[in-house]
Order: sequence, then structure tokens, then C-alpha cells
Amino acid sequence: MTALYDELRPVSAEQHYRITHFLNYEYRLLDDERFDDWLALMHEDIHYWMPGIENRRRENLLEHGFYAADHMAFFDDRLRDLGRRVARFQQPSAWAENPATRNVHQLTNVEVYYGETDGEFIVYSTFQSVRSRGLDEEYVIYGRRQDLIVADGDRFKIKKRLILIPNATLTCKNINTFL
Amino acid sequence: MGNIIKTLDVTDSLTGLKDVCDLENGRIAGKIFYDQAIYEQELEKVFARCWLFVAHESQIPNTGDYITTTMGEDEVIVIRQKSGGIKVFLNACPHRGNKVCFAESGSTRGFICNYHGWSFNVEGNLVGQHESGVYEDSNFDKSKWGLKEVAKVDSYKGLVFATFDPEAPTLKEYLGPIAWYMDALFDNQEGGTEFVGGCIRSTYECNWKIAAENFVGDILHAGWTHDSAARAMLGGAVAKVSDFEESYSVNWNGHGYEFALDTVGNVAVLGESALNKYLHTIKPSVAERLGDFRSNMIGSVSSCTIFPNFSFLPGQNTVRVWQPRGPNKMELFTWVVVNKSAPEEVKEKWRKGAMMTFSPTGVFEMDDGENWEYCTKTAKGRVTAQQDLFVGLGMDSLLTETPLPGNVYEGQLNEANSRAFYQYWYDMLNSRSWSEVPNRNVGKPEAE
Repeated sequence: MTALYDELRPVSAEQHYRITHFLNYEYRLLDDERFDDWLALMHEDIHYWMPGIENRRRENLLEHGFYAADHMAFFDDRLRDLGRRVARFQQPSAWAENPATRNVHQLTNVEVYYGETDGEFIVYSTFQSVRSRGLDEEYVIYGRRQDLIVADGDRFKIKKRLILIPNATLTCKNINTFL
Repeated sequence: MGNIIKTLDVTDSLTGLKDVCDLENGRIAGKIFYDQAIYEQELEKVFARCWLFVAHESQIPNTGDYITTTMGEDEVIVIRQKSGGIKVFLNACPHRGNKVCFAESGSTRGFICNYHGWSFNVEGNLVGQHESGVYEDSNFDKSKWGLKEVAKVDSYKGLVFATFDPEAPTLKEYLGPIAWYMDALFDNQEGGTEFVGGCIRSTYECNWKIAAENFVGDILHAGWTHDSAARAMLGGAVAKVSDFEESYSVNWNGHGYEFALDTVGNVAVLGESALNKYLHTIKPSVAERLGDFRSNMIGSVSSCTIFPNFSFLPGQNTVRVWQPRGPNKMELFTWVVVNKSAPEEVKEKWRKGAMMTFSPTGVFEMDDGENWEYCTKTAKGRVTAQQDLFVGLGMDSLLTETPLPGNVYEGQLNEANSRAFYQYWYDMLNSRSWSEVPNRNVGKPEAE
């Protein structure tokens, strides 16, 4: 549920810039297939969650409306799980990654607010992930994100990520990237 | 009975199918994955005729609980009745054909069409319309204009199937002895199974048969295709299937189940030791319930397809339907099945484990999709589509002395089930009615 503006505490322009910069950097790591460096941005307690979206009537909504914690998901990962996904990408026998998938990740509509405790930031954003494979395949995934970012020295780590796509049917065969 | 679906005239079978589907010689051709005319015959002679999986009973426990799905490309509503039974209706208003239920699941006292307000109760009866007086003025007989009901609905161990064809054999006859093997996953504990909430849907640019065949009897691909996933999840290669001392490919009516007897080979790839432990813990009780033989199958290296498009993997506990959406397009519906009696933390590990391995984000499935898509797409070439494709492994591997039910073949690394799948498909496309479908079963129809 979206908090009303009065209940939110927006960060300063400078802090907004630093966090946006960090998230853009994170996306560039994915586009460059620097998966180990990407994984290093995850907090040890990361919860990386992309629930399945269910097309339900308003009178039959779930715990969170179109999704629920105990229902099926695309990602519902901790650090070990993300590490396993990265490990697959790095195998020479990941046949469907050679030739490589070419990625463009975009982040927009970034809002940054102070979290509940010092050094925690809540970030709302929208994203677009474009993948191309082969000569002519193109897959686009749009969605919204809610991140919990924590300060780590003068850098940041990602502690929670909630990824919500509008689609109840994924328009492609897989998600061979992170969002 | 105006509410029963009208039976359609049968069109002539295509000529020349033998050129692209010659199983006696272990040959098919890519045309069967890409041809529009073949696809239209499939919708008529396979999907409008065979028993199709529509729901798990646990998805709709109470009166008025429903899910929507498709049978072929026909949209249907599957809804629990007051009587405890289940009805399956076309999801189309009998007035102008508009969809009456737009949600994928929920609970309701009925459905009201958004167009002219035709209103149907849980039993599918038409109970009212906007401006109902004008219908009365036209001597309208409401009792004849309910939601159209499919010909037959039946279930096996919680799995609900439906068919549009009143002449279809019973579900029991249709499944035949494959049902006995299905118990290894769907009836290994008291209380049976349930689906985890939700359904993940994804879209493939491939023909539905290539995916269905992958589960009917193609463990051969696993060691090669899934090497990267196995290394990621287990830190090493997939178990070498040719090392198993005993394994089988069993088929019947185009369904196929291939399996080893290693108990936990499939579940192991989820990388959750608690799940291996759970299966080892229940194994003695499974042996009491189903016998020693099937207790070795509860999570072993195995897969199954029930013809035409319902598949599952014991151990990974992924259940799926390969929904046809054109000759070269498929929607995949994926669910997770667990034992009702399993501890909550075990169910939770299966929910996540199936996602991590066999789902659109699963590290195993990631390498399947491209293979299936390009097995389909290469057949776009007119010349390529007509070339022979080899499906001839294990031509002489039928076991005639086995006590096991079904058409039993030696070994999992065998294309016997794939041939049987395509043969049944060929037979359906060449038959004008169920009575014309040849019986090619040679094994025991029931377990001894």
C-alpha cells in the first residue's frame, strides 16, 4: 500500500543522487554480466522477492492484493539462492547463455525516503528490462520495485527487493536476468 | 439438454501425415511442430476429444470456489458444486459469447456477463438477465440457455480432468496402468496431495508437443542440457542415468512415465537436504501403502506426461500443462504439488525449490526453453520441415516377461515413450471417432 506523502520522509537531493547513482551502477553491472560484483551489493540478509501476479476479482483479493507470501513466485531468494543463480550463469555449459543475452536495464520514477532506522532507505522505482538474444529475439519486462537499501560505510547494500510486474502471464519463456 | 455442449461434425483427416510421422521406422519431421493445418486438426481431434487436466481438487475446496483455465484454446470455468462435485463450463455467455469470468480463481455465488447482464448460478443455470421482461415477451426458455457444460468430468487422486467428447472412454480406461505409477507422487501418503497457491504462467514460442514429449520420456537431455544448473545447485554434474542398474520407460495410450528407482535423484537437484530427508522418512510408510517398488519412485529421476499436455516431475514436484496457442506458441501453466500431511516447512521448501529449478526463473528450465523454441522454429523452413528426425532409440527394448503393468521398456535412456506419444497423436489425428483409435497397447492393463 502506498504511504501518503505526509507520512514519508524524503531524503535530501544529495542523498537521492547517491542512491540513484548506486542503483544505476547496480543495473550496469547486470548489463555487463559482472555477476560476482552484482552479488557483492546484496546484504547478507537479502530477501529478493518477485511474487507471481494473480488476476483476481476485487472481492477475492489475497494477502497483498494480487500476490501472497505463501503463493508461487518467480524469485523468493536469499543470498544462497542468488549465488546459485549466478553460479549457473558462469558455467561454460550454460548453453542458452552462449551467444550471450544482451541486456539493457533502465530505472525510472525513483523516490527515496528515510527508512525506520538510521542508515536505511526505502526506494520506490519503476524499471524496464530489455533482453535480446540471437538475431531477432526481444523480451521486455516492465514493473515496479520497492527496495530497502542500507548504508554500508560510504556505500550501500540492498537488503530487500520487491519486484512487481503487471502481467499475470509472463510474456516470455524465462527471466534469465535479475530485475 | 440445451446446456450440454453441441457435438461438432468431424472433419476429414489430413493426408500425408505418414510422411512426417513414421514411428515404425523411428522417424518424425519438424512439420508436425509448425504446420497450421496440423494444428487445427489437433484442436479438433486431440484437444476437443481427449481427457485434459483442468484443476487440482485442493484449488477449489468449497462450494462456489472456481478456477479458470483452457482446454486446448477453449476457455473454461472449473467450479465446486454444493453437492461436492465439480462442473466445468465454457467460459462464454450463451447470448453473444462474451467471457463471463475474467478472474483466474476465486469464490463466487455465480457469474454475471458484463454485456447484457445474463446471470448464472454455481450450477451454471441461467437465473436472470437485465430487462428480463423482454425475454419473457419472446417466450424465452431460460432452462435451455445456461452455461455450456463439458461432456465429462472425473478425477484421479485429486487431479481433475475433463473432456468435451461424450464418446471418450472413462478416465480410468484412458489413464490405464499409468495411474498405478502416478500414485508414487499423488498418493504416497494418507490425505493425498494439494497444490501450493497460485499458478505461474509463461509464454514459449514453441509447439506444445516438443515440451510434452520432453516429459513423456526424454531424460536423455538432462545430463547434457542441464549440466550448468546441476553444477550450480549441486556443485557437480547431473547423476549419470546410464549408471542406474534398473530403470524403465512405460507407456499406455500415448501417456508415458520414465523412471529410475533411486528414490531421491530428482529431489536432490533442489539442493534442500530437508526434502531428501523427508522422502527418506516417509519411504517406509510408502512401502506399506504402495509396495517397495513404488516407494523407490517418490522422488527418483523420473518424469511423466499424460497425453496430450499434462506433465509432472516427482521430486521437483512441479506440475504443468503445456497449453497450445498456435502451432508455434505455447502457454505454460506451472504449479507445485505437495503432500497435504507434510510439515509446513517441507511444503515451503518445495514451493521455493520448484521455483528455483523448474519455472521461468528456474535454473534448469532456463536451458530447456531455447531448445524447444528452436526445435519448432527451424521447421519454418519448408525443406527443413520435411527432413527426417531420429526418434529410434530402444526399438527392441520391450519387456515381455515383466510383472509391471503397461507397455514396459527397458531403461530410461530410450525413445519408446516418445514414439508411443507421437504414435497416439498420429492415431488420434487419423481417427474420426474414439472407436477408430487403434489399440496398440501390448502390456498388462493392470498391476498384478
